Amino acid sequence: MNQRIGATFLLLAPAALFGADSQWVLGASTLSYLVSHPLHESVGVSHEARGKGVCHAGQCDFLIAAPVKSFDSKDSNRDLHMLQVTRGGQFPMVTVRVLLPESELTSPTIHCDLEIQFAGQTARYKQVPFQREARGNDIRITGTIPATLADFKIDPPSLLAIPVKNDVPIKVEMTWRPM
Amino acid sequence: MLRNPFGGWLGSVRGAVIVCLFVALAPFLMAQAGGTGVLAGKVTDATGAAVASVKVTAVHADSGQTRTMTTGADGVYSFGALPPGNYRVKFEATGFGTVEIPSTTVPEFGRATADGKLASEPKPGEPSLGDLGFTPDQTAGSAAAQARLDKRSHMLKIHQRLGLITLAPLAATLILGNGAKGTKGATASASASGREIHAAVGGLTAGMYLTTASFAIFAPKIPGTPTRGSIRLHKALALIHGPGMILTPILGELAYRQKSNGQKVTGIASAHGAVAAITAVAYGAAMLSVVFKF
Repeated sequence: MNQRIGATFLLLAPAALFGADSQWVLGASTLSYLVSHPLHESVGVSHEARGKGVCHAGQCDFLIAAPVKSFDSKDSNRDLHMLQVTRGGQFPMVTVRVLLPESELTSPTIHCDLEIQFAGQTARYKQVPFQREARGNDIRITGTIPATLADFKIDPPSLLAIPVKNDVPIKVEMTWRPM
Repeated sequence: MLRNPFGGWLGSVRGAVIVCLFVALAPFLMAQAGGTGVLAGKVTDATGAAVASVKVTAVHADSGQTRTMTTGADGVYSFGALPPGNYRVKFEATGFGTVEIPSTTVPEFGRATADGKLASEPKPGEPSLGDLGFTPDQTAGSAAAQARLDKRSHMLKIHQRLGLITLAPLAATLILGNGAKGTKGATASASASGREIHAAVGGLTAGMYLTTASFAIFAPKIPGTPTRGSIRLHKALALIHGPGMILTPILGELAYRQKSNGQKVTGIASAHGAVAAITAVAYGAAMLSVVFKF
């Protein structure tokens, strides 16, 4: 009997010491970019992001991706123009990789290091704050990524010879559930 | 000393045979030594830094002919003397995921560029794009798809600019329409001259209009993108000003003949002014429908 308890302890000890692996999958999501021009603003929204997160040895690695052409501003001409200026034909996906300590997952405000690949470029954002809200087993994450067109070497589109603003904040609303 | 009595004749025949052979084989020889092109590019990682020792493979789409080389310290590679055509280009390097460009065209006597952007291979357990269930069609981009978007955008920009420029002769035609009618007290020659000018400027407007329209009509279509938003109104209005822009000069010609014969404008020709006004209003509204957007 004691031998059996000892064997069980030996099997479980590493997991207890280093933290068991956990995996997360992205459920519902809304990603929206805001483009501002002195004459008006437009918002492109995508609900087609997919994501997966893996936590191992106290470190979590999340990957979120969405097709660039899934962003819808309710104007197909504008969306196609955005797809063109963001080189979406050649680089059709926007991916976001998030690294954070597993302990952060329980904080009401999570500070994440982000690596975004978009338009053939990679931009990194340090310590971006996101709000966390537990809903049963699910976790709802909301926040804004302070992206700019210059981060991805995108020439700002113009209207009446006036270019849009460089700041293109991306609002994020995601619900993650454990796998 | 003996001389070959047929030497001169034989020499001439030999020369003629060589010339004939050369002429007959020239197209074949030229085809064999046909123009070639260059395929070159630079391979970088996610941070934009050059990646050395990347294995680059170019496969000709038709013949399957394969060429391989590795990038230098500056991440640059260059295949010279490639037969022209479409090539699939693959980039492979240790520690990076394999990247493939499905199609790039090497022109004859020209140069094609295919840059490789490598992403680090996911570490064991690290989520990758493949884990998310996107299809290869969704994740694989191509230079050809981007070129189609670029061409569409370029043609529509010209369409917009020409459309704006066309407003000037359109307005001038409408204004000159009053002179073409012939005002009270105006001499017959003055009225005729007014009609001539109105017709000439109207012809210029129609020509510019058709040129403007052609840039929208022949711009590449992007499959899987249903028309939404203000562009629907813009296209709907084109269904009014398009036929109107064709009908207006035809009615104008009828009216012109009747006036020139000293007759009163009657029948469908009398609708020339009204059709022109409706066309102009629809045209202006179509412009406004897309101006307040980007």
